[in-house]
Amino acid sequence: MSALFDESQLRCLAALLDTLIPPDDFPGAWQAGVGDYLLRQLQGDLANLQTSYRDFLRCLDAEARCLHKRDFADLSADARSDLLHRIEKQQVTASWTIEPGEFFAQVIEHCGEGFYSDPGNGGNREGIAWQMVGFEVRG
Amino acid sequence: MSDYDAIVVGSGAGGGVAAAVLAQAGKSVLLLERGRALSFEQVGRDHLRNQRLAIYGHNAGPDIEGNPRTLDPASFPMPVGERQGEQRILRPHEPGYQNNAACVGSGTRVYAGQAWRFMPQDFRMASEYGVPAGSSLADWPISYADLLPYYERVEWEIGVCGDHRSMTHLPAYARPYPMPALPLPHKSNVHRRGLDALGWQGLRVPRLINSLPYNGRPACINCQHCVGYACPVDAKNGSHNTTIPRALQSGNCSLRTEVMVERLMCSAGGAVAGVQLITADGLRESISADVVVLSCGAVETARLLLNSATAQEPGGIGNGSDQVGRHLQGHYYPGAVGLFPEQLYDGVGPGCSLATCEFNHGNAGLIGGGMLTDEDIVTPITFWKRDYPPDVPRWGLAAKQFMRNNFRRINDIKGPVQEIPNPDARVQVNPAVRDRYGIPVAHLSGTSHPETVRTASFMRERAIEWLRASGAIKVWGRQPQQYLSGGQHQAGTCRMDEDPAHSVVDNFCRVHSQSNLFVADASPHVTNGGFNPVETIMALAWRTTEHIVANW
Ligand SMILES: Cc1cc2nc3c(=O)[nH]c(=O)nc-3n(C[C@H](O)[C@H](O)[C@H](O)COP(=O)(O)OP(=O)(O)OC[C@H]3O[C@@H](n4cnc5c(N)ncnc54)[C@H](O)[C@@H]3O)c2cc1C
Repeated sequence: MSALFDESQLRCLAALLDTLIPPDDFPGAWQAGVGDYLLRQLQGDLANLQTSYRDFLRCLDAEARCLHKRDFADLSADARSDLLHRIEKQQVTASWTIEPGEFFAQVIEHCGEGFYSDPGNGGNREGIAWQMVGFEVRG
Repeated sequence: MSDYDAIVVGSGAGGGVAAAVLAQAGKSVLLLERGRALSFEQVGRDHLRNQRLAIYGHNAGPDIEGNPRTLDPASFPMPVGERQGEQRILRPHEPGYQNNAACVGSGTRVYAGQAWRFMPQDFRMASEYGVPAGSSLADWPISYADLLPYYERVEWEIGVCGDHRSMTHLPAYARPYPMPALPLPHKSNVHRRGLDALGWQGLRVPRLINSLPYNGRPACINCQHCVGYACPVDAKNGSHNTTIPRALQSGNCSLRTEVMVERLMCSAGGAVAGVQLITADGLRESISADVVVLSCGAVETARLLLNSATAQEPGGIGNGSDQVGRHLQGHYYPGAVGLFPEQLYDGVGPGCSLATCEFNHGNAGLIGGGMLTDEDIVTPITFWKRDYPPDVPRWGLAAKQFMRNNFRRINDIKGPVQEIPNPDARVQVNPAVRDRYGIPVAHLSGTSHPETVRTASFMRERAIEWLRASGAIKVWGRQPQQYLSGGQHQAGTCRMDEDPAHSVVDNFCRVHSQSNLFVADASPHVTNGGFNPVETIMALAWRTTEHIVANW
């Protein structure tokens, strides 16, 4: 799927994005195309963040294994949220090669951009986020 | 003999009017624009790259690469841009850059088209309030009455819709607007309740938008992408579809795009001979004219004058009194966001419809004030980036559900504050940093005056009061801070006055030191009113160029 991330990094990314915007009766971030948005941006405006993203995903998995002996993607939704809350507060156990809280704050922004901006940017597939919030484009 | 009677540099609000008035008077005109002519499709509807939310760039220019400016870090509270020694190098979409636009029409291609006259008091701020320490507050050398005939022309010839009877903060209108106000969206009816409860006078926001077919173009279809985007049916009136086509249709005007004017050419004896420009291919051309009109916007007009230094004027053309580039101002835009128990959103665009001018003047202990309005429709990502409440989680199910449950129940009230000019808020040129053409870029420094921040804090409180009186159950919004202002409403950098010791241009916006060099954009504004500036920019440009023609 992508030259930027290997299979396990992609799994981790999907789980991360779906923890930020989880599925309910509307799709979560991954199904809504936020991954496509991000992969496109990482070859465009955010190309300078390719390495940081890979580092972050690697450290996120390391953190999950440290705490739960499993990959981040294999944790329950609640355990993933708890772990991200700790990262937000810089409470990490594994040795991180990237500043966890600061980079996480950027990931939150990118995820929202992919989900809520126009489908032309690769996310918000078929305008699903706009249907959810009630932003109707009539003209 | 000169190549042209007149050259107009910049095709935005002021430049469009200047080109039309000169060409329709039979003068041969060359209109020069650094940006491109953009179709509706080229402007597009990219929610991350537009003149409203420019996270990754703009849709109406300038391009991200090749157009840097530099900024004194003390001018902006957040670290921005790439650091280079004591200054920061900014790209156009980075905070602090003070962008308006760069394309045919400039900001008018994608603006909201709020069409405000300044109030009579706005032209005599120093006389009304005195001059606070550290400010360069002054009266305009002209009055509301001097601009009135030109306000009326803008309203009729460019095309403004509104309700003149509701404009009770101004002297009675002799001529109504040519078109009735746009239909009120539901949210404005809700905000009307608040005004009534508070006893504040409400008025209909006049806009440069066709509410009925006008000037051969159709009426607004109430779409959801007005401010920051181009109009899908061409019902929004800007330079690109009014003044510039008229100038071209006269047969006397040629428009050249993607050409950057590098400097003015000067002849001996206090007159300019023309301009030197650089094409997109990097070729230099010198073009002569009997009159040159600068309409580059407040930052770039100052930059061009400063980059045109000569032996006679080593500090830059018109800069004998060290005034070029000073008094840079724009509008603080304080306000607040409110969450309502009911749905406000009905999708009826553009949205910004109802305003109050209760607080433009007469606020005890303050210098001036500002206007407040409800907002144009906000896209979901703009809401998420700009207006999201600080105490609600930004991720997780709670965040998703907040967006889902409340996007249609939210609206903001805000408006422009009359800024108190600071002579140290200024544009200089920076020979150490060059744009894609090799031209020294604008260097920005200084901040707003503390009185501006005080007024902005006061206006924010009034916005909160209005939202609560309208029924908001929760209200939030940032406190104004001190920083350098300018941006889309940039003005003031070539101050207008009869005394050359304190100004750059005279009462008809002629550069004091040159017999044939005029400024027709927001730069001459001595103060910038508590209103969006474009109708005043157009009216002043009209007056200036009509004067040029009359005295040819
Ligand atoms: C999204 C948005 C919404 C807005 N909404 C409103 C509103 O509702 N009401 C309102 O009153 N105002 C509004 N404005 C602001 C309004 O557009 C500006 O006040 C107005 O355009 C400024 O006019 P000006 O003539 O001073 O300069 P501009 O209109 O900026 O024109 C300057 C032009 O000169 C060109 N130029 C600069 N330097 C050179 C050079 N060296 N060589 C060649 N060309 C050059 C630029 O590319 C530009 O096109 C809005 C602006 C934006 C972007």
